[in-house]
Amino acid sequence: MQLTPDDIILLRIWGFPLNATIVNTWIIMALLVGISMIVTRNLRADVPPNRWRTALEVIVQSIQTQIEEITRKSARHVMYFAGTLFLFIALSNLLLVVPGFLPPTASLSTTAALAFSVLVAVPLFGIASGGLVRYLRRYIEPSAIMLPFNIIGEFSRGISLAIRLYGNVMSGAVIAAILLSVAPFFFPVVMNMLGLLTGLIQAYIFSILATVYISSATAESESSGIREYSIPHQSHPPRSGEEQR
Amino acid sequence: MSIDWITVIAQIANFLLLVWLLKRFLYRPILDGIDAREAEISRRMAEAGEAQKKAEASENGYRNLKTQLLTEQDAVIKRALAESEQERDALLADARAKLEQEQKDWHRHLERERTRFISQLQRSGSETLLELTRKALLDLADETLEEAIVRHLATRLRPLAKDLAHAAGSAKEAVVTTRDPLPEAARQKMESELRLLLPDCSLRFTTDSAQSPGLVLRVGGAQVAWTVDSYIDEFDARLDEHLAARSSGRA
Repeated sequence: MQLTPDDIILLRIWGFPLNATIVNTWIIMALLVGISMIVTRNLRADVPPNRWRTALEVIVQSIQTQIEEITRKSARHVMYFAGTLFLFIALSNLLLVVPGFLPPTASLSTTAALAFSVLVAVPLFGIASGGLVRYLRRYIEPSAIMLPFNIIGEFSRGISLAIRLYGNVMSGAVIAAILLSVAPFFFPVVMNMLGLLTGLIQAYIFSILATVYISSATAESESSGIREYSIPHQSHPPRSGEEQR
Repeated sequence: MSIDWITVIAQIANFLLLVWLLKRFLYRPILDGIDAREAEISRRMAEAGEAQKKAEASENGYRNLKTQLLTEQDAVIKRALAESEQERDALLADARAKLEQEQKDWHRHLERERTRFISQLQRSGSETLLELTRKALLDLADETLEEAIVRHLATRLRPLAKDLAHAAGSAKEAVVTTRDPLPEAARQKMESELRLLLPDCSLRFTTDSAQSPGLVLRVGGAQVAWTVDSYIDEFDARLDEHLAARSSGRA
């Protein structure tokens, strides 16, 4: 059983193997960028938006609203990062329904790369927000004894992100493959539909957690170590001091 | 389950490239477009607000103007009504005065006409009465009125002979005045009668068209009148009474 698309070498360029993960990632990137370029060309303020532009505006504004509810401020750079995470993972997981398409998120290399990106982005956003000294000071708070634990906690967050996403996507693919061999007619369809739902949920969770981590780093830098951020809720407004992840 | 580190590095590069590409082709255009549209909407809303303020100001101005015009219109109407009432009162007073004046003129005219008619009636009546008397006297007694007057006067003067002579004093002439010339027989009768009463006086006959029918004798400071004046006056009085009774009975 094929568990990861990393092992599928589609072609080689100058002896460099291109596996399905990279190629499928390029396909997803081409789709995202191509649709964006087509829709957003020749934008004019005095012309009412068409349905495609309206759809993109709804998506972008929803992302922006979610992120602003977490960060409690206008943070476009965070939105570029977390929004791209969401769109990439969501489209990748949605393309699970395309026969023969292996989503890149089913590769531990991809999820590890995304988790590593988050792991690097968190201190970068924190340093950019409050400066290097203030960011590093949070590792020795409330006392210097906590330094190793804070470092371990920082890395464990990235690892958990990567494993969570990989596990969910890969498990959906594996379950679909197993059910396909057991009952090839009905269950794989149901499991694929369930996979669409869990894929969107995973994209949401991954990007929201990344936003929360970044917001945590920037908020600590700005408010001298007081951790206060919230998980957005669809039906209720966020409460201050809500559950921390 | 393994991690291909080359793939990880490639995916990191892919992801960073995707972030930049989406930032370039998705987020910025969309968000800038939204901001521009919101700015455009805000600008239009501001313009609409300004236009609404101007419209409200214009509305208030026109409303004040309308109120002012209505007030002025009321004042003009009241003034016009007052002036028209004054004009009407003046015209009515003038018309009333004219009417009263015309009524007075008319009454005066009527009174004049009435007086003229009555005097004409009296004159013609008295003339007719005198004519009838003359005719009746001539038809029944074959005598003129003047002859009858002269004859009757002679009988009435005899008892007054002394008083008449005393009144004549030293007068040498007696004057007999009639409206119409006396017939010769009447003159002679009058001369013979007066010669008996006043032998020293000569007699002269004159006429006066303004005098009533009859005879007036003047000698010295005395005057004896024997005319139909009293009868005419009585006739007039009776005629007046009759007309007054007729007019009151008609009223």
